[in-house]
Amino acid sequence: MRIRSEIILFFLLISVIPLSIVAYISYDNGKEAIRASVMEKLLGATENTGNAIDNWMAARKDDMRVISQSRIVVSKDKKQLHEYLDTFVRGYRGVYREFFILDLNGSIIFSTLDREGNAGNERYFTEAANGKLYVSDVSLSEIPGSSEMIIANPVKNNGTITGIMAARVSLENLYRIIENIDVGKSGEVFIVNKDGNIIFHKNRSMILLRSIDDNHAVREVRYEKNGIAEYINYKGEKVLGSYYWLPLYRWGLIVEENIDEAYTGVVTLGRLMVTVSFFAIIGVVFLAVVISRRLTEPIKSLENGAIDLVKGNFRPIPVTSSNEIGRLAEIFNQTASELLFIRKKLEDRIQLANHDLEKKNRELIDANEGLKKLDVMKSEFISLISHELKTPLSTIKVSAEYLETDDNADPVERKEMLRVIIKNIDRQTRMINDILDLSKMEAGKMEFQFENVDMREIVNAVIENIGQLALKKKITISLDIPDSLPQIIADKEKLIIVLNNLAGNAFKFTPEGGSILISVKDLGDSIEVSMKDTGIGIDKEKLEKIFDKFYQVDSTSRRKIGGCGLGLSIASGIIRTHGSQIHVESKPGGGSTFSFRLKKAEP
Amino acid sequence: MNRDAIDDIDDRILQLITKDSNIPNNEMSGIIGIPENEIAARIRNFSDTRSIILIVDDDMDSLLPLKRSLERENYKVVEAYSGQEALQKASAETPDVILLDLMMPGMDGYEVCNRLKKEMNLKNTQIIMLTARDDVGDKIRGLDIGADDYVTKPFNLSELKARIKTALRRTRNL
Repeated sequence: MRIRSEIILFFLLISVIPLSIVAYISYDNGKEAIRASVMEKLLGATENTGNAIDNWMAARKDDMRVISQSRIVVSKDKKQLHEYLDTFVRGYRGVYREFFILDLNGSIIFSTLDREGNAGNERYFTEAANGKLYVSDVSLSEIPGSSEMIIANPVKNNGTITGIMAARVSLENLYRIIENIDVGKSGEVFIVNKDGNIIFHKNRSMILLRSIDDNHAVREVRYEKNGIAEYINYKGEKVLGSYYWLPLYRWGLIVEENIDEAYTGVVTLGRLMVTVSFFAIIGVVFLAVVISRRLTEPIKSLENGAIDLVKGNFRPIPVTSSNEIGRLAEIFNQTASELLFIRKKLEDRIQLANHDLEKKNRELIDANEGLKKLDVMKSEFISLISHELKTPLSTIKVSAEYLETDDNADPVERKEMLRVIIKNIDRQTRMINDILDLSKMEAGKMEFQFENVDMREIVNAVIENIGQLALKKKITISLDIPDSLPQIIADKEKLIIVLNNLAGNAFKFTPEGGSILISVKDLGDSIEVSMKDTGIGIDKEKLEKIFDKFYQVDSTSRRKIGGCGLGLSIASGIIRTHGSQIHVESKPGGGSTFSFRLKKAEP
Repeated sequence: MNRDAIDDIDDRILQLITKDSNIPNNEMSGIIGIPENEIAARIRNFSDTRSIILIVDDDMDSLLPLKRSLERENYKVVEAYSGQEALQKASAETPDVILLDLMMPGMDGYEVCNRLKKEMNLKNTQIIMLTARDDVGDKIRGLDIGADDYVTKPFNLSELKARIKTALRRTRNL
């Protein structure tokens, strides 16, 4: 995992977990507080309502007691009763619908509405006749949507019950009072009787027409229990309800509040907590990203620098701080440039070594090529040599065979044959000598005897050798030698070979009627010997090769002279041993001049 | 000079001799327009039934003993010292066998053989190559060009004679 991701993750862990715990605890506490306050409010509303009912009922009871004990009621004077009780009816504005007085038989003896009848079977009559103030159950009145109850109290004269004072009380007044009690916007108050029938609801049409004994609060309150609970109410809504049993009137008071609305605050709190947590986490992440970037950016640039260095295109990385990472970057830059310097040096060295190798390789290839060429020339040479050696052999053999089979041959013919045999033996001997000379020279085994020599002597010896041939081929030989010629240091025999070979070549390539000039010049500390012919000359490109061991200018024409093309090689080798070299000047058709210089002997 | 021309000259010599059996050679030379010695050679040829062998070699020394040996075997031997000369002689004499040396200055043996093989009137002539080189490659090259046999130097004279006889047998069979 990258450092940056690790840092971000770490920040998230150390921030989000406590944050979440704190948020959750705050939310829980808040929720409890809200719930408690809601309940308190609910209980308060219940108590207020209960108190209002009690107050109202107490006022009615007090009224009844006061009226029951009044002199007018005890006297039962109808005229006075009307006057007296009508003031109550009027004064309480509809609270009291009717006051009536019953005798001990239950017959109505007075009514503010002048009603007649008997109520001997009614419970309020029997209870009041027993000397108690009695409040009847609620019942519907003759006015639609309106309910009422009867309060009855015994009328006593000197401690003896003389009649019953009763009043029909409209509950409308009480309802209004209850309705004015604040039970919250969504609060709902209703009162049920012992049977579960509604005796108060703001929707009056439900009063005494509907039983709602199918929910928790109603069931509990009918068992005369008090409490607070969450349940599903008659409308099917989830509510928080407070219920309270009023034993004096056998009423169950219930105040309900819709749970969702009751706990609106909790939801709001929850949302607030989530929002706050969310922004806090965003903030932490942002902070973590910023911090980790600040931390990892220099590390990243170090990494990139290292990668670049490996690839070979290093650039110094920027040092952005003076902390440990900054120091590291500085050291990295330093090390990298040193490395690059060393690398450059190494590369240069390798290049140099490569260059050297290439050069040597080329030299080797050249040498190899040279060797190959030499090898080819050598095989050709051997092939030629074997041919040249076999040709005279063949001639000798044929001649000998001829002589062998001819017992009485013509003496002239026999002589001719023997001459051919001798000539070919000479030719072969010459050739073998040449080959041996060359191989000796190649091996460095040719023996030289240097002594003081007169060049003129040597030239004369050569003329003697080639004179016959010159005559035969009608070639003029002329000499250009100064009268006084100093002695030179040389091997006499070998120099004769040199000049013989050069002359041989000159004869070979000079047509009949041509001329050969042998000249010697005094150059001060040395002499120059040259042989010039009027032959066919040599091509410029062949000129460089004529001293090569196996080179033949024309491989088929040498036979007439009897050489095998080794003459120049041998001559050149001999002159080299004399510390000089043969120089040649020639152009095709213009003849050739071979020359060499030799050191004079010490006087 | 082609064969028809040669035959024409021969025919004319024959006509002259038929008319006058004592006609001298120099007279015929004047009539036909060729040298007197050639007239004599042609007259000699009329009665010469020997097989003709042409030896081609630039080395006079090797040619001579071979010539003498073959003449003793009763062959008519014609000699040529270069490729050019060989072509002329072959054309003039129509030899039965040509002994051809490969190593010659100027036109070498292969070239000569190549040209001889193209001559229509030499299609019955057997060519035996003589050389001191005995590479297999050289032999194959020679036989490829159309040489009929190949003998390496130094050869045994009896063997060469036997080979010439075989070659002549082949000529007659053709």
